[in-house]
Amino acid sequence: MPPAITAQFLSKTFRVKVRDPGLAGAVQALFRPRYREVQAVREVSFEIAPGEIVAFLGPNGTGKTTTLKMLAGLLYPTRGQVRVAGFEPWSGGAAFKRRIALVLGNRQQLVWDLPAEETFLLNRAIYDIAERDFRLRLAELVDLLGLAAVVDKPVRQLSLGERMKCELAAALLHRPPILFLDEPTLGLDVSAQDAIRRFLGAYRDRHGAAILLTSHYMQDVTALATRVIMINRGRLLYDGALDALVGRIAPTKRLEVVLGAPVDQETLAAFGAVHSFRFPNAVLDVPREAAAATSARLLAALPVADLSIADPPIEEVIRLAFAEGDESE
Amino acid sequence: MSAVTAWARRYGALIRSAWLIDLQYRASILLWVLWGVTEPAIALGIWWAIAGTGDVDGYARIDFARYFFAMMLVNQLTIAWDSWYLDGWIRNGDLNFRLARPLHPAHEATADNIAYKARSGSIIVVVWLVVAALWPAVRLPFDPTRWALTALAVVFAAGLRFLISFTTGLLAFWTTRATAIMELHAGIAMFLAGRIAPLALLPPPIAHLASLLWFRPMLAFPVEVLTGAVTGSAALVQGFVAQAFWLAVWFGACRLAWRRGLLRYGAVGG
Repeated sequence: MPPAITAQFLSKTFRVKVRDPGLAGAVQALFRPRYREVQAVREVSFEIAPGEIVAFLGPNGTGKTTTLKMLAGLLYPTRGQVRVAGFEPWSGGAAFKRRIALVLGNRQQLVWDLPAEETFLLNRAIYDIAERDFRLRLAELVDLLGLAAVVDKPVRQLSLGERMKCELAAALLHRPPILFLDEPTLGLDVSAQDAIRRFLGAYRDRHGAAILLTSHYMQDVTALATRVIMINRGRLLYDGALDALVGRIAPTKRLEVVLGAPVDQETLAAFGAVHSFRFPNAVLDVPREAAAATSARLLAALPVADLSIADPPIEEVIRLAFAEGDESE
Repeated sequence: MSAVTAWARRYGALIRSAWLIDLQYRASILLWVLWGVTEPAIALGIWWAIAGTGDVDGYARIDFARYFFAMMLVNQLTIAWDSWYLDGWIRNGDLNFRLARPLHPAHEATADNIAYKARSGSIIVVVWLVVAALWPAVRLPFDPTRWALTALAVVFAAGLRFLISFTTGLLAFWTTRATAIMELHAGIAMFLAGRIAPLALLPPPIAHLASLLWFRPMLAFPVEVLTGAVTGSAALVQGFVAQAFWLAVWFGACRLAWRRGLLRYGAVGG
């Protein structure tokens, strides 16, 4: 099966006007404008298969959204090639746009003053969806997203979470096989985030869609993505499984110990690096390969009430990966 | 589904949506229509006073009354606000989702114009009918040919004003002052398109300039056809040819600005 998305040496350079502060700077910019080039994306290459959910990670302003917009055909790349659903995005026209959905967490296509169902009807006409298909798909989306009670309320009266769910429904009525989601859970409460994650997983399972999403919430990544693409300062930093990244960046496991009786920190330090210690809780980092043996020794030597072995928090792994990337620049 | 049916459904849905939004902003719509009535009414008041002592270059009070009532109707049927919408879409990033769906944003803008013009035009027609019932001076003779020619000139003028507004709005790809440019154009058009006075009353070089450029074709010409100021097939043909010429020029400019603008679009915001 051909890849859903292929990007080869994708680059985007913006020309940005530079202006000195103050009135003199404004006047100078008027008569002698100065520009500098900002390389937002630098020779990024990857492939995404149908049915794959990939998280696109990176700090703010690092080129994630720019890449997403190039893949969706909104921006022309400065260099490089892209194929999405077999099309070159910026010349694929209507046929290409029927194959994708773009959902931007902080921009909405829902008509603000009208109930969401009016936007659904509008999209039915725009995407030429047959009446029967429209009814079936809308019923499925309303069911999966739990929208029955909100579709007839004006969008301006909906909560942020309800709006995002309606936004997803509007974007998926034409049942696209490729989804670009930019911060789909931005600003949502925990239960709304969870509902959207479950929905995206279900949509992928039912329709085999490829999903590329950006998010700053690690829960989105761990719950949904089988693969992460990390981008820093426009360059590809890592492309692969999340587990493999954790293994490479964090060669330690974390032992979380609850002690039954006081021990001193020096005693604990004999078993591994003490990450934190406040009786009765102690957290130790130990080499991955030694985690099982160290746990056994700890249980035998110390008054342990409880013990668990975990990977370091994913946020920490990602932070370390970016720090490593910065050092190698 | 045939292509024609699909397009009819799309336009039907867009116009329906525009009308539903209008219903949410009834008071604001009423104020805009009131503004559309007030401006020609003020101009008429001034010329009515000036013409009190006798004709002004062949225009009697009754001619001014017919002219400004026709101006009120034609202006509402041809006015375009697209530069303001486009400027917002481009600068706020609301163009993004519009570019990602299989419908050129110009279709949404066109449908919005049809919705707006049908709504405002019908209100102005009612205003005119009420005034005409009470004041015979503003009644126009029943002349099917003139009405048909007016309809054609109005369609051309509406297309022209739409393209001017859309193209000016596209300047937001390059500058943050696109709406200021449109305001400047509107200011010039106050004089050169005949909103303040019939072009026949302007100094001849300025009236000539208005005819050479797109200002007469975009507003004054259909008003003159409606009031019967343009007579003779040569003058009519010349007027329609000028409209067609400027439509083609602005259509080319619009396409060029769209293509070049997209190339440098930064797709601001999320």
